[in-house]
Amino acid sequence: MPSALAPPTPSLTTYLRSLDEAPLDKSITTLISLLKRRQIRSSRSCALATTKLLIRVVEAGEDGSDGKWSSTQALIAHIRTVGRKLISAQPKEIVIGNIVRRVLGVIREVADRDSETVADLSGSEISGPTSPITITGERSVLPMRLSEFSPRDVLSGRPGTADSVASSTFSSPAAAPQQRPNLMTAPTGTSLFSILQHPQTQTRSTSSPYATPPAGTQSPALRPSPTFKSTISTIPEGGESLDIKAEVLDGLAELLDELSVVDTQIAESALEHIHSGEVILTHGSSRTVQRFLLTAAGKKRRFTVFVAELYPNDHLAVHDTLVNGSLPPVSPEDEGLGEKGRWKALTAAGVTVVLVPDTAVFALMPRVNKVLLSPHAVMASGSLLAAAGTETICLAAKEHRVPVVVLAGVYKLSPVYPFDEEGMVEYGDPSKVVGFAEDGRFIDGVDVVNPISDFVGAEGVGLYVTNLGGCAPGYLYRVVGDHYRNEDIELGRD
Amino acid sequence: MAPKASKGGKAAKQNEGPTEAEEPLQAVVFTDSHEGRFIPFTYSQPRCRLKLANTPLIEYTLEWLASVGVQEVFVHTAGNHSEQVEAYLEQSRWQDTFDSLRTITSAATSIGDAMRDLDEKGLMKGDFISVYGDLVANIDISAALSSHKTRRLKNKDAIMTMILREAGDYHRTKDQHNRQCFVIDSDTSRCIHYEQVRPRKSPRLDIPAEVMKDHVDIDMREDLIDCGIDICTPDSLAQWSDSFDWKRPRKDFVHGVLQDYETFGRTIHTHIVKEGYAARVNSLRAYDAVSKDVVSRWTYPYSPDMNMLADQTYQLAKGNVYREDRVTLARSSSIGRRTVLGEGSSVGEGSVIINSVIGRRCVIGKRVRVENAYIWDDAHIGDDTVVETAIVANEVSIGKKCHVKRGALISQGVKVADGVVVEENMRLAKIERDDDDEVVQGVTDPKIVGEGGEGFLIELNEEEEEVYEALLAGVQDMDLVEDDDDDSDFDSDDEDGAEYEHEMVPAARSGSFASVASNESEEGAELKRKKADFVRTATDSVLDGMTKKQNEDNIQLELQSHRLAENAEDSWIREAVATAFSRYIVALTENEEEPQKPKVAAEAAIMTNQRLITACVKEAGEQAEFLLFLQIDLLHRQQGGEVLLHAAYVLAIEDFVDSVGLQEWWDDSRSSRTQELQDLRDKAEGVVTSMVAAAAAESSEDEESGEDEDDEDEDDE
Repeated sequence: MPSALAPPTPSLTTYLRSLDEAPLDKSITTLISLLKRRQIRSSRSCALATTKLLIRVVEAGEDGSDGKWSSTQALIAHIRTVGRKLISAQPKEIVIGNIVRRVLGVIREVADRDSETVADLSGSEISGPTSPITITGERSVLPMRLSEFSPRDVLSGRPGTADSVASSTFSSPAAAPQQRPNLMTAPTGTSLFSILQHPQTQTRSTSSPYATPPAGTQSPALRPSPTFKSTISTIPEGGESLDIKAEVLDGLAELLDELSVVDTQIAESALEHIHSGEVILTHGSSRTVQRFLLTAAGKKRRFTVFVAELYPNDHLAVHDTLVNGSLPPVSPEDEGLGEKGRWKALTAAGVTVVLVPDTAVFALMPRVNKVLLSPHAVMASGSLLAAAGTETICLAAKEHRVPVVVLAGVYKLSPVYPFDEEGMVEYGDPSKVVGFAEDGRFIDGVDVVNPISDFVGAEGVGLYVTNLGGCAPGYLYRVVGDHYRNEDIELGRD
Repeated sequence: MAPKASKGGKAAKQNEGPTEAEEPLQAVVFTDSHEGRFIPFTYSQPRCRLKLANTPLIEYTLEWLASVGVQEVFVHTAGNHSEQVEAYLEQSRWQDTFDSLRTITSAATSIGDAMRDLDEKGLMKGDFISVYGDLVANIDISAALSSHKTRRLKNKDAIMTMILREAGDYHRTKDQHNRQCFVIDSDTSRCIHYEQVRPRKSPRLDIPAEVMKDHVDIDMREDLIDCGIDICTPDSLAQWSDSFDWKRPRKDFVHGVLQDYETFGRTIHTHIVKEGYAARVNSLRAYDAVSKDVVSRWTYPYSPDMNMLADQTYQLAKGNVYREDRVTLARSSSIGRRTVLGEGSSVGEGSVIINSVIGRRCVIGKRVRVENAYIWDDAHIGDDTVVETAIVANEVSIGKKCHVKRGALISQGVKVADGVVVEENMRLAKIERDDDDEVVQGVTDPKIVGEGGEGFLIELNEEEEEVYEALLAGVQDMDLVEDDDDDSDFDSDDEDGAEYEHEMVPAARSGSFASVASNESEEGAELKRKKADFVRTATDSVLDGMTKKQNEDNIQLELQSHRLAENAEDSWIREAVATAFSRYIVALTENEEEPQKPKVAAEAAIMTNQRLITACVKEAGEQAEFLLFLQIDLLHRQQGGEVLLHAAYVLAIEDFVDSVGLQEWWDDSRSSRTQELQDLRDKAEGVVTSMVAAAAAESSEDEESGEDEDDEDEDDE
């Protein structure tokens, strides 16, 4: 009997559903083809899919069946291989690379801790690759021609040196105290393990915004240091790999948590940026921005929002969001939530919303107090990769001295430095601009170009708001540096 | 607090997702379209493996199938390259991508045979998608699938949905030679009439009168690209099996099902897609158009920088220039817009490449100009050569100071010596197929490829219908300048052959009715359709009787009752009987277990059922008509000429026809209306001349008088 329901078109939802049953190799190839076919395309979807897949990779174990890893090096090498495949499948989705590097960071973190417990001072095999100098070697060509050069290498020779500054200067009040206990308690604690695990477990149970720091911020403090190592050399070598795996999985679960709460965390600083009576200009229907505005509106702030409609690639989604409210994010927990899980529309929350064409941005700019943007990715230089039309907005804002505030979860911050700016722009289907059926002879004679994304230089941006709080453009490199390990910035090629 | 509220919302899960066990979505890919339009390239490679923008065609098709959520794929191959297709798929990534990927090899010679083969094997569990292995598409068919399924739930007889892409009056991707016209009920999107309109022919459609009565809103669409994507049902396979002579999915199947609507009530629906891209690479012209579309990103995301194959490394640069890693470009070379350069290729000093696709590992010399050309892998082009709109296949070597002119097709491995000019529309090849369809090395012709070259000009063997059609298709199609006013009378489409079989004679007849007045022409059309219906059912019943070896009287009785029921004319009966005979004889000769010689078969068939003939064939005019019907039906059949010869011989010997009848048939202009009919008839010439001569000797009648009659006949036409 034929059923009335057609089989679903492959998408993030179907992918996540199939992830548990399908064999690992197939899951990897499926994700690669979904990325290539652009059936998974937003930053968040890419991040979610990548994280979930890498969790599966870690769980599966070295030969894919018994769930065991012979060494951390093997795990790192394997993740790098899978990561390279995913990145080359869709080099324009910067977030995939970010997640792969974050995962590697988690593994190294755990390995470092572990090596401190087992290795003596002469250093184990792990200490080699953790040296931050490795990237100064020969640079190979990346698929995107992005060089992995990062300004912080120049500015701060070692990531460890400025770390205490990093934790204290975070404007998020919650982040600093969370990190401090580690620094202070570590030397006095009886077991290093319990110290490290305590804050993490706490983090998970409360879904607090601390999920991001562990990978980067804790590490510098725990780098090989003679005093630590001598105190803990008594811990037996026994179940090394098992512990590592469990801890890595814990770390990855936190990463997943971070992805699901990132909008809420960013929105927590909404009240600092949006005030009653302000006129805000935004672009598209990003959930981050919607959540941000809704939070402010929820606190009885009355303001006006101009929304540029993102014609021709996403205007339908923008219209839909403005009328019906934002669709819920796709994640395994709210799978099948569908229409019912929609957020309130901004107008329903008492905000005056005006939909404007992209071309009207310049004319409106004198009346705007603030521009809110949510890009696809933020590069190490602070430049943005965002939906087409963003650059126009930034230029107009610059002309009228209107501050531009960029909302981006930490997972969107990339350690990659963009050298080939033009190559990062993705070009889409020209039929969105000129209908394929409209006039065949015309189409014969012209090239129709439909850029999907814009590359926006860092100079246009006034402030970045991440889930750790706000941060000035000049300081962005620190936040980036805290989340990625130097040895992972260059993932190389096969 | 807003975040809290949303958390709560997330917790309250609504299970809207589909929960019932879904049957896997299946698809059939036909890799062999039973045409020879890509000759000479398809001598050594199947069409689906030819590269379009440096990616094999089948990859686009399978990628699209995967993108719409197909889980099980059956690749149907037939003909010379089955093993190649199978081997290619076996080592491809598709083995892991789909839940199952099976290659079915059969001896099918048409899509109809392939469909019947599928039905026999019973592989299709439910509704499935049928596509060709040369499809390039990015359309979303989920809407089409779900409307198809809802329709099926309501009405079991909706046996097929055709997916059609809207595309204005003129479009480079649309077939300009064969414009298909779909008449669609705009409320139910049911296809109620289908016809092919040819350029420079009368645009009149023969829409049955009932159709006009039954449907209030009718759309007549001629602006659709038929990209060969059909959502089929097992019932449609059964239809194919029921009508063993259907070959083409549109001309025979759609037409046939629509014609039988009154009897069986089966319907075919359409789904018109307004967004996205879908086209078949079914001719060289389409190859050119689709390549351009892929490079200009109309097929996004399926453009070269998607890197569909794992080892591809294309990157997009400004002006739709795609370049793979390790491409060497001389500093003074110039790469123009819309160009694709494959890995390891090098371009020499001062060379200009515009609007072209260059494969992998190609070497392009100095001061070369390549414009609108397609150069496949490992080709070598010497210094100072000019290549215009042309296809240069794998491992071709073109010498220095050559000129490859527009429309030239240079096939795999050909070597062109220095200073040679390859003229427009020439087809050069190094291998060819001999009479047994085996690939053999051809004899090099130094006049064409120069001293030291390898290859020869493909000569057109006019007896080989396939090559003949392909040539015409190629010449017209490669002509990239708009050739709307092309005045060839021959048509190249695969769906066309059927014209000759059933429709020519009725069309010729109804012409005399139709010219008088409009209401009369309607009557004429109705009469015509009624006749066609009668002939078909009557033929089937007679053929059935003969195959089951029933007593000829019984068959005759049944035929008579048909005739009375339908108030049929005598000539209809003759047509039915003649058609039945021809099919029966052909069936005997093609019998798999014990194929009989045409002579034996003709004798057996006619002698056992002679009363059928005597009942309807008496006078000379009737005899001629009977022979004519026989001839028309034998057209395009294997050994048709042989069968015709022996049938005519037996008929003459046994006095079913006399010399006057034979002569009349011979002189009837309808019997030599086309080249093919003429060819067929020529086989039987011996019988006719000897019989007529014998008769002439008896009655000392002059043969010349026949030719006078001939002239009169032509006036009738």
